[in-house]
This record gives sequence, C-alpha cells and structure tokens, in this order.
Amino acid sequence: MTHTAAETPRGPKPQRMTAGRIGLYAFLLVSAVFFLLPFYVMLVTSLKTMPEIQHGSIFALPSKATIEPWIVAWSKACTGANCDGIRVGLLNSFEILVPSVILSIGLGAINGYALSFWRPKAGNIVLTTLLLGAFIPYQVFIYPLVRMLSFVSLYNTLPGIVIVHTIFGLPIMTLLFRNYYEAMPADLFRAGRVDGGGFWTIFFRLILPMSGPILVVALILQVTGIWNDFLFGLIFAGRQHLPMTVQLNNVVNTTMGTKAYNVNMAATILTALVPLVVYFVSGRWFVRGIAAGAVKG
Amino acid sequence: MKPRRLRNVAAQTALIPSWLIVIFAYIGTIAWTIRISFTSSGIFPHYDWVGLKQYDRLFDSHRWVVSVQNLAIFGVIFIVGCLVLGFLLAVFLDQKIRGEGILRTLFLYPYAMSFIVTGLVWQWILNPTLGIEQAMHAWGWSSFSFDWLARGDRAIYLVAFAGIWQSAGLVMAILLAGLRGIDEDLWKAARVDGIPAWRIYLSVVIPMLSGMFVTALVLLGIAVVKVYDLVVAMTGGGPGISTEVPAKFVIDYLFNRQNVALATAAASVMFVAVFVVVGPWLYSQYLRRRPGEAS
Amino acid sequence: MMRSVTKYALLGTAMGLLAAVPAAAQSSGSDGGKDKAEVIHWWTSGSEHAAVEQFEKAFDAQGGNWVDAAVAGGGGDAARTNGINRIVGGNPPDAMQFNTGKQFDELVQNGLLRNLDPLAQKYGWKKEINPVLLSAVTEDGHMYAVPVNIHSNIWLWYSNSALDKAGVKPPQSWDDFFKDADALKKAGIIPLAQAGDAWTQVLTFFNVLIGEGGKDLYMNVVKDRSADAIKSDAFMKVAQTFGKLRNYVDDGMQGRQWNQAIALVIDGKAGFNFMGDWAKGEITHDGKVPGKDVGCIPGLGHNAFWIGGDVFVFPKNAKDEKGQDLLAKVMLEPKVQVAFNKEKGSVPVLTDISTDDLDACATKGVNLLKKEDYVPSSDILISPDLTGSLTDLVSSFFTDKSMTPQAFVDNFADIMAK
Repeated sequence: MTHTAAETPRGPKPQRMTAGRIGLYAFLLVSAVFFLLPFYVMLVTSLKTMPEIQHGSIFALPSKATIEPWIVAWSKACTGANCDGIRVGLLNSFEILVPSVILSIGLGAINGYALSFWRPKAGNIVLTTLLLGAFIPYQVFIYPLVRMLSFVSLYNTLPGIVIVHTIFGLPIMTLLFRNYYEAMPADLFRAGRVDGGGFWTIFFRLILPMSGPILVVALILQVTGIWNDFLFGLIFAGRQHLPMTVQLNNVVNTTMGTKAYNVNMAATILTALVPLVVYFVSGRWFVRGIAAGAVKG
Repeated sequence: MKPRRLRNVAAQTALIPSWLIVIFAYIGTIAWTIRISFTSSGIFPHYDWVGLKQYDRLFDSHRWVVSVQNLAIFGVIFIVGCLVLGFLLAVFLDQKIRGEGILRTLFLYPYAMSFIVTGLVWQWILNPTLGIEQAMHAWGWSSFSFDWLARGDRAIYLVAFAGIWQSAGLVMAILLAGLRGIDEDLWKAARVDGIPAWRIYLSVVIPMLSGMFVTALVLLGIAVVKVYDLVVAMTGGGPGISTEVPAKFVIDYLFNRQNVALATAAASVMFVAVFVVVGPWLYSQYLRRRPGEAS
Repeated sequence: MMRSVTKYALLGTAMGLLAAVPAAAQSSGSDGGKDKAEVIHWWTSGSEHAAVEQFEKAFDAQGGNWVDAAVAGGGGDAARTNGINRIVGGNPPDAMQFNTGKQFDELVQNGLLRNLDPLAQKYGWKKEINPVLLSAVTEDGHMYAVPVNIHSNIWLWYSNSALDKAGVKPPQSWDDFFKDADALKKAGIIPLAQAGDAWTQVLTFFNVLIGEGGKDLYMNVVKDRSADAIKSDAFMKVAQTFGKLRNYVDDGMQGRQWNQAIALVIDGKAGFNFMGDWAKGEITHDGKVPGKDVGCIPGLGHNAFWIGGDVFVFPKNAKDEKGQDLLAKVMLEPKVQVAFNKEKGSVPVLTDISTDDLDACATKGVNLLKKEDYVPSSDILISPDLTGSLTDLVSSFFTDKSMTPQAFVDNFADIMAK
C-alpha cells in the first residue's frame, strides 16, 4: 500500500506528484489505518488459540497461527443441539436477500421516479409518512406485523419476510431515488415526453440506465441491511427459511456459555463476505459522466 | 398540459403498493402504538385504558432523562463526524487515485459487519487494561491514560466515535454517487478559468450535492434516533445507565422487562418529538407547493 | 442491457413470490410416526451444546424427534420474543424455554400454555421436584412448566495462587474479605475482578444482600418489599458493604465480560469474582478444577444457595401434543437429569437423586439444599419490570462512587414502593 503513492495515477490526464497529492494520499492512508484497526484485531484474534487470546495482548500477532477457528466457524460450531457451523442457512439468506433487495430497490426507484418527475397528487404524503415512520424503532412494528401477516396467512413464510424487508426498506429507498432524480435535468425528462414516451417507457429506457451510482448506493444499503438482519428473519421467515445470521448470532451471542472469541471473529468475517463482495463488485457502476453524456446525446 | 392527468394514472398506479404499505404498516402501527401506550399491557397488548399513567412513569424515570440527553450528545457528534469524514473521503477518492475500488470497500467494510462482534472489538481496544492504554504502557509510555470507557461522563463520546467508524463510509458512498453525477465540464471550465479546486467545492459542488447531503442527513438522523446495537455492543448502556439511549429504553421494556405499554409510551414520545422537529422541515420540503411547480 | 435485466428480475421476483405462497402454506406434520418436538431455547454456546445434547439423545432414543430451534441473545430475550410472537401468529413451538420465575405468568393467565397436571400425577412429579421450584411453576394449584435445572448465582470464586501470593487465607466473613482484598491490593493484584455488564453487578449485589444480610433480610426486602426492612440498619450495612466493593475493582471493569472477569481469577491476576455456577465451565475449560485451583464459597457470610434456573413450557395448539408429553417426561427422568445437569454445571431439580458424580462446588450446593439453606431467585419473587428498575439503580450505584449508600437505600425504597 505504501508504494501506491509513488506511482502515477491513472486517469485521462496524468498528474504529477504535487505536495497536495502527497497530502491526499497521506490522509487516505491514515484513514485506512483507522478503519482497519478493528479488522486487524479481529483477524489476528481469529487466528489464535483460546488460551493465547485469554492471556495475551489483543494487538499481538498469533504466536502460532491456526485456521482451526475458521473451520469450526464455518462447519463445526455448535449452536444448541446441532453442530453445523454458520453455513447452515446460507442458501436461505440468498433466498431472502435476492427478492427483498430487488423488490425494495425497484419499488423505491419507481416511487422516486414518480414523485420527482410525475408528481402525482398526494404523492409526497407517501414520502413524508414513510420518513416519519422510519424514525420508529423497528422492534415496535413486530407485534402488529405478526398479526397482519398471520391474518393474510403469510406469517412464517418466505413471501412474508420479503414483504417485511420491503416495508422497512421503502422509506430510505424512496428518499434516495427521489433526491437523486430531483437533481437530474428536467430537460431530459421533457425530451422523453416529447418523443411520446409513457410512464414505464421513460423509466426503463431513460431514467434507469442513468441511475448507476445511486443504484450502487441503494444496493449497498439494502444488501447490508437485509443480509445482516437477524430479528426479522427469525420471527417472520419461519423454520424452513431461517437466515444465516440466526446461526451467526447463536455462535457469537451466548450470555452464560463459554465464549470462543476466535470462532466468533472468524464467523463474523465470513458472514460479512457477501456484502463486501457486493461493495467491491458494484463499485464499477460508480462511474462519472453517464448523466452528462446522456444529456448531450 | 392536458394529457398530464391521463398519464398521471400510470404514476398513481405505480404508487399503489407504497400506499398500501403506508396505510397498513406505517399508519396502522403508529396508531396501534399510541393506543397501547394508554393501556397497562405487559407481554401481550391488551386494550384497557389507564390514561397517562405510562407517560407519568416515563417522565419520572431518571433513565429516560439520561437517555434523551445522550441522544443529543451522540446525535451531534455522530452526524457532524460522519458528514465531515464522509465528505472528505468522497472528495479525495474522486481525485482519480489509484486503488479506488479497494479503498472504497475498505472505508465501507465496517458497515457490513455485524456490530455484535465489532462492538466487542472496540470494547477491547478502548478498555484500559486490554487495549490502547495497555499497548502504550507495554511500549514504555507508562503515563499514557485513556479511561473514557469507564467514565460515565465520557463513554457516550466513544459510542459516537465507533458510530462514525461504522457509518462514515456510507456517507462517503452517497456523496461519491453525487459527485459522479456532476458534469465533467464543470471541472474543465474551472481549470480553464484557474479557479482553485477548494473554492469550486465550497461554492459550487456542495450546493449541487444538496440532495445527497439531505439523503445522508436523513439517513444519519434515523440512525441516531434508532441507535441501539451500537450501545448494546459497546457499553450495554453503562457505566451504570450513563450511555442509555431512547431506543434501548423502548426495546428493553418491550422484550426483557415485559412492559409493552411503557415501551409504546416511550416510542410514542419519540415519534411526537420527531414529528415536531422534522415535521415542519418535511412539510416545507415535500408537501408545500413550490412556486413554478405546476409546470 | 441493464434495463432488460432489471425488468426480468422484477418479473421473476413477482412470479417467484406467487409460486412460493402455496409451497409455504403446507405445514409440516409429524414424520414417520415419530413424536416431533420443536424446542426453542437459548443454549447456543459450545459448552451448553453438551448439555442440550443429553436431552436430545434421550428424547430421540425414546421415539421422539428433537427439532432444535436455538436462538441466542440478550440472555434469552431473542428466543422469548420469537416464541411469543409465534404463539401470537398461530404457529407455536412445541416447547419453549423460560427462566424460572414470573417471565411466563402472562402466558398462563391468557390460557396459552398446557396444564401439566395429568402428567405430573402420572409420573409423581409433585413429590419429587424441589418445593421452591414446584411452587414457581404452579399457578392456582396447576403446574404449567417443567423445571430442568437449578443454578445458583450466589458464589464467590477465589484464586488460591493469588491469595497465597498476598499471604492470606480464603475469607470466612465479609471482614475477612476486605482484609484479604487490602492485602491483594498491596501485592499488586486486582482484589475484585468485576465485569462491566449491569446484570453481573446485580449478581454481586445479591451476593452481598444474601451473604451479608442473610436470608430473612433478602426475603423481607425483595419478596415482601417491606419499607421497614429497607430502612433497617441491616440493609444499610448491605448498601455500605456493596458500596465499599467499588474501591476494590480495577479500571478495566467497564467493557469486560463475565468470562474475562473469571479468567483473571483463573490466571491468578485477580483474587475474587462473584459469579453464578456457570463460571465452572470457564474453569474446567482452562484445565483447572473448581473447588481446588479456584475455590468456591456459596454466599459468603450466611452461606446460602440461590434457587434459580430454567424451565420449559408447552404451548397449547402446538403441532404434536404427544411429542410434548414425551419431552416433558424425558426431561425429568432421573438419569437424564443427572446427565444434563452434570454438563450444564447445575444441580438436578429432583430432591431424591444420587449426587456422587457432581464436582466439589456442586456438592456444597446440594448439601445446602438438603439443609434447606436456600432462597428463591429474585426472578421468582419479582417481575421482570421491577428487576429492570433495580438493575438500573444497582449498576448506577456501583459505577458512580459519588453516590452514597444513603441515596442508594432511598432510591431502592422508592422503586420497591411502586
């Protein structure tokens, strides 16, 4: 990482190493260290044996690194009567994640688009109510939602949990897309209307292709929130669809049992891999100039 | 424009699912919460009427008062910290630097990790006998002292600090998305005119990002009002009750202490407070008809 | 390209949702003639697994099919929330764990739990179960839960090596304790290893209340909530002793978990720690012997045993009533009780049971039980709501040296008067 500062940055216009750029890299480097410190502790802890953790410094490197905790976390850790590690429920997590993310982002994008370009009557009441509701702790919703979903026979089903995630994702998704689209040039939209485009045509042909960066943000928010959710999955998904985080929680969150910190750290990092991959891969949509190009074209 | 109303049918139809969610899930829950706050419910909601009894108890509770004060301290530090750090990171990442993808993921990773365990790690790092203080002593700096976690009047700052660590990356991502939406021509024009970059950021870019700042601010505001995991994992509300927060009050009474009525009373007060503080702003932003809107 | 992907993804989701409804609607009944029991509990750590396994093995061996629904978190909060909501939503589990005490009272009052009287009669439980526990699971003369273990929270653990280093002996009284603590301090050893979590500080408080104040004071203050008892000199002494402990903890208390606190005692880095008998798990895990390397005193001062623990309730309208019957029977079989409690570090709930297999500390506990030197746990005596208020007060007092014992007593009286 220290070498990067010496290399010439890519980009259309090669830049020389000025004092400003050195300062810039220095700031990013210091920030990186700050952000990485807890991860470092987690990583070295996950590679130590329990006696070494109990009796040594948290910053010390493992005297004899072991990957046993990772294996235990993945496939052997006992949670109750079963000893199958956190891999149990991995597929369930995807089963919940994919439809929930698509549905909540889709609905949010459509809302944002409708509210900022079409401005339907009373549309903003939807947004303001959603935003106010977003300030209430989720846990308060549990009881009413259980009653409502069991009334329509969706309690403890996959569609039930997908609906719950959509409900809680909606305020932020709507706000996110609405504020992004609001900043888009209105000329673009007018041009689409002049060409005779309808509501859906303009959305799919014109607006959505220009939403790259904000889709990334939406994806980051929703993938993280839904993937890491444990309480809703537990209560609304039902036995057949329990997400992986229920297992993670069971591994790391005992009150009176013996704690295996090394396994806890490994399990936490393993569970976070999916959102991390999404962050990294979706980053390529973080590109400049789509909007600019489209306006001129 | 005449066909506007006709086309609006499609827009209205598109909003139907959201209307259903708003009416049933949100308005329904809010009404239910307020109703239950006037009862004597324990684990299960039941529908008697005890007037303002729960509210009397709530405002009489020392813990609630402490919680509200902490929320203010936490909120200011957390929001300002996240916005400043997030903005700086976004701007610096936007300078065509090497390894942007890796750095971006690195600043974002805290957001992806379950806070049960990352909170524990922060506890270790900040613990005087395990973490930084101990490491400094081991390296020979024996007078180094950092015991904020054990001090009732300081621990809340550390919770805010860990919160910034967790959420600044998200603000960075939101603002970066906004920066990437800004026209390349702006920079070319500025370069030609010889205007220093920081002035452009201050007087042109920040105003252009206002929508993104609002999004980030609302997101952080919601996180502040609902802060729970962070406190549970970092301090458990301690030392004593010195880092308690309102959402933790609600959740403790809802589940552990089996007093749904008091929990809903606290939630209702939170809702009304948010309504009073955010309501006027929401009204001016989203409900008031702005001049020139009736295009 | 992206827009078509999005379009199809949306379409696919909608279809998937529709297709998933009928699939999810079909409920699973008992399979292969086995009596199925879905059990919600919060014993999720590796050490607790060994105990749960005893139940599972015995149940399955007798023709049952144990379906594990373990949920950790918040000392059972998450598991209880899950179970209660499933009852509300019409999909109750077959069995569900609670702590011994008032946590499930409301479920009984709302008629949501099965009355276990027929089973109790058939198997003669009412004569065999410890009377304190039996009354804790009985309401209006009917039995509504099966107690499975007795955990005592009232233990003082001490490090023999640390006491040796300081040149002192294990304490017999609270005066001894403070003399030892001063000597430990002088020797550069942490006198009292205390964890930062509020519940661990409450546990220390009850150690002082019962050990220093005695059983009667405890019952008068906690059960009867007597204002006179709270204003008495004896209770003031308890408050002062508890307050004095604040001077013997180290800077690392906040942010330390209970297992790290007992680890300090195991290592000889600290002299004392107050913790429940589950601390034995950490001691044996480190290859040490409880009662030998790390000494145990049940209720320093007035020795006493604290009767708390876990119970299982059996909701009405669950899928498999026969599975429930079988599970209840298996959990209280003497052999299963011994096997389970040995792994759990607790004491069996049946009074007439062989205790040869138990460790030195558990044997001390059983002897106290036989002499009837015991008190019911605070969970049995007061509601979770009141316990919560006391927790806030006790942890505030313990972590704030500027709060006087007098202020503590006054606040305590206020809370109990409500």
